[in-house]
Order: sequence, then structure tokens, then C-alpha cells
Amino acid sequence: MKQRMYLACASALAIATAAPLAAQDMQYTAANEVTVLQGFAAGGGSDALAQLVQPYLAEVLGVNFVNQYLPGATGAIAWTRLAKQEPNDGTIISITNTPMLMTNYLMNPAITYTIEELTPIANVVTDPGLAVVSPNSPLETFEDMLNAARDNPRTLTVGNSGVGGDDFFTSVMFERAAGVEFQKVPFQGDGPSMTAAMGDSIDVSFNNVGITYPQIAAGNLRALVVFSEERIPELPDVPTARELGYDVVAGSSRGYSAPAGMPDDIRDQLVEGLRIVTENPDFQAAAAAQAMNIDFIGGDDYTAFLENQFVEFSAIWEEVKDDVQNQ
Amino acid sequence: MPDSFLMIGLINVLDPINIAAILLGTLIGMFIGAMPGLSATMAIALLLPLTFSFRPETGLALLASLYLGAMYGGSIAAILLRTPGTPAAAATVIDGFPLAQQGKAGKALGFSLTASLIGGLLSSIVLLTVAPLLGALVLNFGPVQIFAIAVLGMTIIGSLSTGSAVLGLLAGALGLLLGTIGMDPTTGTPRFTMDNLSLFGGVPFTVALIGLFSVPQAIRLIVDGDKAKTMTEDAPGGMVKTVSKIKDRMLPTGRQFIEMLPNSLRSGVIGVIVGLIPGTGGDTASWFAYNEAKRFSREKEKFGTGHTPGIVAPEAANNAVVGGSLIPTIALGIPGSSATAVLLGGLMVHGILPGPTLMTDHGAVTYTLLWAVFFANIALFVVGIMFTRACISVTKIPNRVVGPVIIVLSIIGAFAINNSVFDIWLMLGFGFLGFLLDSCKVPTPPLVIGLILGPVLDTSLQQSLLIGGGSWMVFFESKISAVLLVIAFLSILQATPLFRWIGIGLRRVRSSQQS
Repeated sequence: MKQRMYLACASALAIATAAPLAAQDMQYTAANEVTVLQGFAAGGGSDALAQLVQPYLAEVLGVNFVNQYLPGATGAIAWTRLAKQEPNDGTIISITNTPMLMTNYLMNPAITYTIEELTPIANVVTDPGLAVVSPNSPLETFEDMLNAARDNPRTLTVGNSGVGGDDFFTSVMFERAAGVEFQKVPFQGDGPSMTAAMGDSIDVSFNNVGITYPQIAAGNLRALVVFSEERIPELPDVPTARELGYDVVAGSSRGYSAPAGMPDDIRDQLVEGLRIVTENPDFQAAAAAQAMNIDFIGGDDYTAFLENQFVEFSAIWEEVKDDVQNQ
Repeated sequence: MPDSFLMIGLINVLDPINIAAILLGTLIGMFIGAMPGLSATMAIALLLPLTFSFRPETGLALLASLYLGAMYGGSIAAILLRTPGTPAAAATVIDGFPLAQQGKAGKALGFSLTASLIGGLLSSIVLLTVAPLLGALVLNFGPVQIFAIAVLGMTIIGSLSTGSAVLGLLAGALGLLLGTIGMDPTTGTPRFTMDNLSLFGGVPFTVALIGLFSVPQAIRLIVDGDKAKTMTEDAPGGMVKTVSKIKDRMLPTGRQFIEMLPNSLRSGVIGVIVGLIPGTGGDTASWFAYNEAKRFSREKEKFGTGHTPGIVAPEAANNAVVGGSLIPTIALGIPGSSATAVLLGGLMVHGILPGPTLMTDHGAVTYTLLWAVFFANIALFVVGIMFTRACISVTKIPNRVVGPVIIVLSIIGAFAINNSVFDIWLMLGFGFLGFLLDSCKVPTPPLVIGLILGPVLDTSLQQSLLIGGGSWMVFFESKISAVLLVIAFLSILQATPLFRWIGIGLRRVRSSQQS
């Protein structure tokens, strides 16, 4: 209780001191109001990021953010519009989710935008991938999972959030790295895939930390391996794939992008604004409360991040395409 | 521990602010739900931003009561205008509208309210007592079991077809075909999308529903004008006249109440169970309950003509779904329906993580929400009795005004779901299809069922076969799915003349033995 009081005081102080400073520091020059295109429905994960980030960013940049929801085709409707129809003057940006941003057009010729038609601004959060099983699963450890997959190729059922989603690609990357073959079962999102593992309908679910953590903490799921760079603080006992000798780092990331050709000074203001927000302890506490893992990648680094992912996923998709589509 | 949370929750709800939020929520929900095309999910989604500044308890109490209010509001439009305000009220149209046509709109709405109260209270009591235990049950429903449930759902088509079963099956097949539009769930390959991104996610069935049910009605109102309104009560069946006033009593008599009790309770139980299964919602539950009420009834032929059990069943079920679908949402953080998914979003906005911790760390807020659902059901009954007559004022407006207004509201509704202009055209397309089908006497409800269950069947079948390594026996290895599939098979047989033939055969054998 005492600690909470202290926290409350500290955050009140932080707001009191940060706000006037920020207002003095920066004033967004492109517009008074910025529209944020959202490729997913209100109430989803992208919206949660918008609701979390934008009040702080509005404070820092002195602008209003207006969300516009254009759900459908796993974000492709909003991103096509962003790339093809919207002005690049900084009045409109969009939340961009990876790897969906790239895999959408990799997999479907009907989706015609590319990342070259966008100005990446910054990544804000990354939800690392992980593999979970039900608590009564015979697979106690990562080794058990690997052996089960080795002994009977294509029989260990491994759920993912859908073909083209991050978990699908994580499982393919892992199959390639470990030289095993899973029986991959696509679900309509992370939630159904997680539930199927909890109910023993599938053997393993390749999923994300954010959604599964409450269930792991409650003992309804067991994490075998996490696909982050380093062990994550919430799950200190779960090894990373990297430390076990499999170089697979993957997850679902969300950031902001604008149409291509956005003026550099405007882009810099947004990158800087997002950097200030992600460094704000108050924001960090709010993000932690929603199990969001802050992963700031700003400006050209974000562009490189998207390009690398595109190259990596193109290669994977070329390889598994026929197999998936002939199922 | 849960006992004390139970008390804390109760005390929280009785806070005047929260009671006010519940009353306000039901009232707003009722009016929004009464507008064709504005669904309960939309009502919650629209008002969610408003609750950001509220305390979590107050915000969630408002959202939950809004949901329940919108469910009933949907029935007002269904009964009076034949345009279900929410998808869950679609089944209410079948008997509610004919009853209102007979000058008994009050009776129809009163029965609807009472059934909603019984179904709602039943589900709240279930919710409050066994929520932590029932969470585990949901886990038994993997792809294999969901496929079996969907197959059972498809057999509903047989009994929904009033008139010709063949035409009903035709409409159902059409719905299944339309349900295949969109990305293949297993391969991600677009099917029948004509490279239109708006169709990648499939036909949004709320859009299709608005078109199928609202537009043909609006066209009829415009074409016929007020001619129908002035007609006497023995007007030829099928002629449309909207009801402008409740002349009869709304509250059922004590005897009527006792008569409807078994049906309400059965439908309530169906609602709770269907709500439990992720991905299904009020719409599935109300069709299911309607079907069962018809199956259990001794007066099957009266269904579709304004028979009160045909109103009671879907209304009790769609309110009971609220409690049912909140169970997996709260116990597991897995929403049971689209509306609870938005509610879950509301929880997260208030910094409360879904999942088992809702029952421990956030127990006080969670139980406040559960009690809010309980009191919202009572509030809905009171508000409904008081304000339904005010709600009806919409029908006093001349038909040639109401018609275009319905079209405008449908267009707004179709657009607002995905903020998509394409969806407006899609809605109008379905409206035209609905008008065409209506003119050919092909029933549209089976089309809707096919459209809803098509993607579910598609996904769960492919998943089940992947899990079973391509073997169809996977459906019989699970007890739940085997039982469900056998029930589905029997219900198909029951719709065919097979049982009648056997009966005739037996009688012949017996008579030949006697002679």
C-alpha cells in the first residue's frame, strides 16, 4: 500500500514536471490533428496500443490524435489506403503490425502495397513468441517437445494464430532451425490457439507472451521456450531458443508508419516524440500493467527492421508455400 | 475468499452512481437496440470510449446494462417492424411480428420482456455461483467438438423453414456457399473475393443480416405506403402493416407466466450453454432455443403464426447468452461472443488483465460486474415496462417516412461496423437478394444460419482433420462430438418422412397380423 502511494505520488510528480517541459520542448509542426488509421477493430491489440501511446504522445507533441478504424483483410485495407491514397504531409499515420505488414502482400498477389510505399516511423512494442503446452501435457521441457517432433515427424500438433501470422512463421523458422516437422494447425487468432492447448486439443501452441502470461502465472499453461533475445523478466525460468542453440528470435511487433516520402523533419519529430514517450516511467508502468513489452526501434532502424523481416519471410514463404497451399 | 468478493461486489453495485449507470445503460441500450442495424456489440463499442473516465465498476456496469438493453431493444424493432435491431432478435421476428399484426403488440413485447427477465436472471445466478467452476468446461471444446456443434446448428435449418423444406434447404445451401467467400482458414488463399480486399475476411454477416431483414421490409413499406395500416385485423396474411400503438396489456397474467416458465427456463439453459462456447453468440442461441421450443411443443403448426412460445424461447435465450458468454470471458479471458469481446476490451482499458486473475486480484471489480448483470436484468424489466410505449412512437410515423429512415439507418449501421463504404453496397446487395427471395417465398433465416455457421464448419473441419492426421474417425474419438453428431443425425432423420414410413409400416404389420 505504501509503495502504491509512493508510486502515485511519483507519477503525479512526473506528470507535473514532464508536461510543461514537453510542451516547451516540442510542438508538432505538420498539423494540429493527426489521423491514425487502424487496420483492426476497436478493442483489439492495435487499439490497445493506440489507447496507451497516443494520450502521452499528444501531450509531448501538442497535437490531437483521431483514430479511424478500417478493419479487414488482416490490416491490408487500412495499409493499402495509407500507401496509395493518403497525403504524406504528416496528417495521417497508421499503426503497423509486423510481420503481418509484409506477409500480407507476400502471400496474396491481390494485396498490392509494399513497405517501399511507406515511411516507417518507429516500432513501439514487441510481444515475444513462445511455445506453451497444457499443464498435464507429457511434454515437460523443450527437449521433450523436440524429441516428440523428431520421433514422429508431422504428428506433433502445433497451433498457431493463422497462416501468415507471426506464430505461423515462428513455427516454420523453428522447424527449419531444429530440422523437425510439426503438424501445424492454424486458428483464428492467438486466443483460440491458446485455448486449444489449454484444453489438450493440440499438443503445443506457438503463441505470444502478452496473451499467455496470465494463464502461465495461474498454472493453466506451461511455457517450454521463449523466442526473445534474452530471458524475459516475467518468466525467468523459461529458456530462450537462442541459449538452447536454435537461433530463432520472433514475435509480433507494433509501431507507426506514414505514407512514403514524408518530410524528414516531420518524421524526426514523431520518432523523437515516441522515444520520449517510451522513456517516460509513467508510460512504462502503464504498459507493464497491460503486459506490453516496450521495444523502441526508431527511424531508419525501423525501416531496416522491416526490410530484414521482409527478406527473411520471403525466403521462408517461398519454401513452404506449395506445402501450405496444397493442404 | 470468493464469498467476501461476492459481498463486496454487491455493496459496490448498490452504490447510487452504479445503479444510475445501470438504469441509464438499459435505457440507452433499448433505444439503440430498437434501431434496425445497430447491434448490441455496436452499442457497447460506441459507448466504450465514454467510460474511459469512469471508475472500472461504473464503466463496466454501464456497458453490461447497455448490452442487455440493446438485446431487448432489438426485439422491439423485430416485433413491430419485422426488422430485428440486433442479430440475436432475428428469431423473434418469426412469431413476434405476426402477433403484433394481430393487434397484440403489447402481449408480444410483454412476453419478450418477461422471458428476457427469466432467462437473464437464470444466467446471472449461474454466473454468480458456478463461474469459476464452469471455466474448465469450455476447455473441452476444441475444433472437433466445435465442428460437431456447428453440424448440429445446421440441422436447425430443417425446422426453420416454414412452408417448403426444400426451399429452406436451398436458402441454407446458398448461405453456406456465401460463407465460403474469404480467405481459406488453413491456407490463407482468397476464395471468390474477386481481388477485393473487403471480402478477404468473408462476408460480414451483420452487414448481410441488416440487408436481408431490413431492406425488403423498407421496400415493402415504401411500395405499400399507409394502405396496410388502415387495414382491418382480418387483412390477408402476409400483408404488412406496422403497429403504432400498444392497445393491450403488456404484463402476462399469473397463469400465462406459469405456462411460459418451463419454456423460458429451457431456453435460458440453452442460452447459457451456447454462450459458453466461444465464437457463438445470441444469434445462434436464439435460433437454437426457437428450434427446441418447436420440437418440444405439441402445437408445432402454430409456430410462425404469432405463437407466444415462439417469442419466449429466443428472448429468454438471447438474454441468457449474456451470462453464459461472460463465463469464459471472466474465468479464462476468452470472450464467448463478439459483444463480450468488446466488454473484455473495456476491462483491459481499465487496466484489468483478463484471465484467472480476474477472480482473485481483481475479484471486487469482477463480482461488481457480475452483480451488475443481475441488477441490469431487473432494471431492464422495469425500464422496459415504463418506456417501451415511448419507444414505439417510432412506428407512428407514416410508413413512407419509416421506410427511407430504415434504409438510412441500415446504411449507417452497415458502414459503422467496419467503417467501410463497400459494406454499404454489400448490404444493399443482400437487401435486393432478400427482396427477391421473399418474392419467391424462399425463407431467408436459413441463409443467415448458413452464412454464420459456414466459416465455423470450414475452419473446425480443416483443423480437426489436421489434428486427426486426416482421419475422419477423429469426430468419434471424442465423446462430446460423437454424442452431438448422433443428435444431429437423429434430428435430420426426424425431419424426413422416414419415421412416418416406419410408423405406417408397423401399423400395416400389426393390422395384417390382426386380420
